[in-house]
Amino acid sequence: MKRLALLVALCTATTAQAAQDTAGLVRYVACPVYRDTDAGRKSGCWLADDRETGKRWDVTESPYKPDWNFAVLVEGRPSANTAQPCGAPALDPVRTSRLDIPCTRHMIPAEGFPGRRYTLPRRNIAPLSVARPVPPGPYAERVFPVYFEFDKDFLVYQYDDWLIDNAVTWIKAAKPKKLVVTGFAATVPEKVSGLELAERPEAAQERAETIAETMRRLVPGLKIETKWEVAAKPTDEPDADGLPWQSQRRAEMRAVF
Amino acid sequence: MRKGKRLMHLLPQKSFALPLAVLVLALSVGARGGDGPDRWWAPGEGRVLPAVLDYDNANGTLRMLTVGGPLKTAGHPFFEPLGKDGRACVTCHQPSDAMSLSVDSVRRQWDRTNGKDPLFAAYDGSNCPTLPQDKRESHSLLLDRGLIRIERPWPAKTFNGNPVKPDFTIEVVRDPNGCNSGPTYGPEAGKISVYRRPRPVANMKYLLAVGFPFDPKQGYALPLDPEDGKPQSGNLMADNRAGSLRIQMEDAATTHLQMLKALSPAERKQLQDFELRVYTAMQVSKTGGAVDSGGAVAGPARLRDSEPGALGSIGEPVWSEFKGCERIPADEAAKLTPGQLAMRQSIARGARVFREKMFLITDSAGINSRVGFGNPVRNSCVFCHNMSQMGNDVAPGQVDLGTTTLPFADPWDDLPLFRVTCTGRPHPHYGKVIYTYDPGFALTSGKCADVGKITLQSLRGLSARAPYFSNGLAKDLRGVVDYYERRYSIGYTEQEKQDLVNLMGVL
Repeated sequence: MKRLALLVALCTATTAQAAQDTAGLVRYVACPVYRDTDAGRKSGCWLADDRETGKRWDVTESPYKPDWNFAVLVEGRPSANTAQPCGAPALDPVRTSRLDIPCTRHMIPAEGFPGRRYTLPRRNIAPLSVARPVPPGPYAERVFPVYFEFDKDFLVYQYDDWLIDNAVTWIKAAKPKKLVVTGFAATVPEKVSGLELAERPEAAQERAETIAETMRRLVPGLKIETKWEVAAKPTDEPDADGLPWQSQRRAEMRAVF
Repeated sequence: MRKGKRLMHLLPQKSFALPLAVLVLALSVGARGGDGPDRWWAPGEGRVLPAVLDYDNANGTLRMLTVGGPLKTAGHPFFEPLGKDGRACVTCHQPSDAMSLSVDSVRRQWDRTNGKDPLFAAYDGSNCPTLPQDKRESHSLLLDRGLIRIERPWPAKTFNGNPVKPDFTIEVVRDPNGCNSGPTYGPEAGKISVYRRPRPVANMKYLLAVGFPFDPKQGYALPLDPEDGKPQSGNLMADNRAGSLRIQMEDAATTHLQMLKALSPAERKQLQDFELRVYTAMQVSKTGGAVDSGGAVAGPARLRDSEPGALGSIGEPVWSEFKGCERIPADEAAKLTPGQLAMRQSIARGARVFREKMFLITDSAGINSRVGFGNPVRNSCVFCHNMSQMGNDVAPGQVDLGTTTLPFADPWDDLPLFRVTCTGRPHPHYGKVIYTYDPGFALTSGKCADVGKITLQSLRGLSARAPYFSNGLAKDLRGVVDYYERRYSIGYTEQEKQDLVNLMGVL
């Protein structure tokens, strides 16, 4: 009982800590602006104006980038790097989630800004032909989180695939008895740029089932259970990049022995 | 090489797959009309398929290699008529046409047989089986644009064995051929008739190759073959309805061949074994010479000997086989005619344009949605045509270029037009209501977001198998370039367009 109380206290502290970490972060809804810079492939810039502060931010570094026909939910931290290759201060880390709010598409010229030359992101999986190093044991119960765009269950390229690939490598080596996949959705409404935003409760189940189906394909024969929870709380897992809202929109794979 | 001459060819020394004795015997048939063997391979004729087989076309010479050949085709299920219509697989997958079917071959067979060739079978070699079969106009889609009728179940019933509940409805807006509005072949009968080009049955190891474990366009790990449990490449069929050769051949046997019984395990094995041994590509450019000489290292032998599934952006760049033609040494150049030199330089420029000419890709599902590249995204042809040696997609290649869907598709009054209404989330680019000639991958996945997506085409042997795109909208290679220019306002110069045409002409 004492241990449980301590655990609850620790969890509360962690959650509170994560929740408090919104200081210095920005979160707003905007119609994206595409700046047509050309430094080679994938080098165009994405900009988004925060109507409340009047600031324009460079949101290009988001793992899932905007669609110029729809508004985006921007969440990020002002970058320590003061360079402005896109003509605005950058958010990094940053997430942009496509919302079902139509926008007038807007493209502006490069105006002398170079954009960014494309480099492979850090979370980039190797081809199947490259052997994955076997993670060392001993193996014990472990949780692998995967993160999503607002209200979506779609695996994010060069983000979720990397997280899952790492998890699969570990699971294949550790051979747990089963995997419990829990989907979470941030269903508690929050006001952002005058809009009441909340994820659909169904998103939690959709995320659990998407991850479960993917894991069934990647680790055939693995016993998988699915659960889902709404009103997700933030976590401080490093792959959410310190963005509490991103950490809420997740699924967790718990390897159980 | 002169017309009608039978020539002996030795394969390159690196040809590890063929024993020397077979190499020496490998016979290249000058099957070019005249006094040579017929270009058309008729079902059941029992010819021997040589290990090396060359066919001339307008841009040069196509070469087909059959590893382990020659192959006796008598009794082989790819070459024997298996169904009631007298067709064989080879009917629509002709060696002279890069194992696809050119509209030139279709017309020649119509003229030679007065429309009696099994190719023109009522089931799918006519615009609709209900039409009078002795009239040319009843076969106009095949004769004019090389299109075969594809009958899909509606509502979509399965995807790799999993039940699908479509999130869209389909209505027939226009039906010039009577199939979709009639009681037997349209939605009223639980079917949809669409019209598509036959895809090449060659270079299969590339089309089956799996580079990464995920399908970034669908947001899942790759589906597994229900038979062997291995991940499926998703690059075989235009609508990805068959993820393995076994599923594909069973689908083709019951539909295109009208087989009344299932393929036997022995027939399936023979078919798969053959399909995995066939490589085809252009060997000689009519103007530029052999594509494996003078700095170029292309051609079917290279395809046969290379590892499939490599991503060009992190390995051997796509079409870098022609890099050696960018700067031909003076002593080498002196051996070429001015025409040869100019063509080789043009092909090399075309390869660079293919890789490096950036443009804004917009509103194309599979690229701009749902995978998070953004809409628009700046990239070049190799963004999607990214596999070394082949130019197909290392990931499953379901992309909507707009070739079948309004407003991007060209106006065609001979194709059926469907109105798709999304019942769940709207399509990311078209909205809730979509007008399309062919919903493509959506007929397999049941997802509105997949309407208009067609699996990327193979780019090898193009010169032998016009017209292009799944619905034959481009009658020639220039038409392909022109479509991309219209669709994406790329801004190709006239020189760049010609260089691209010259490149595609020698693949």
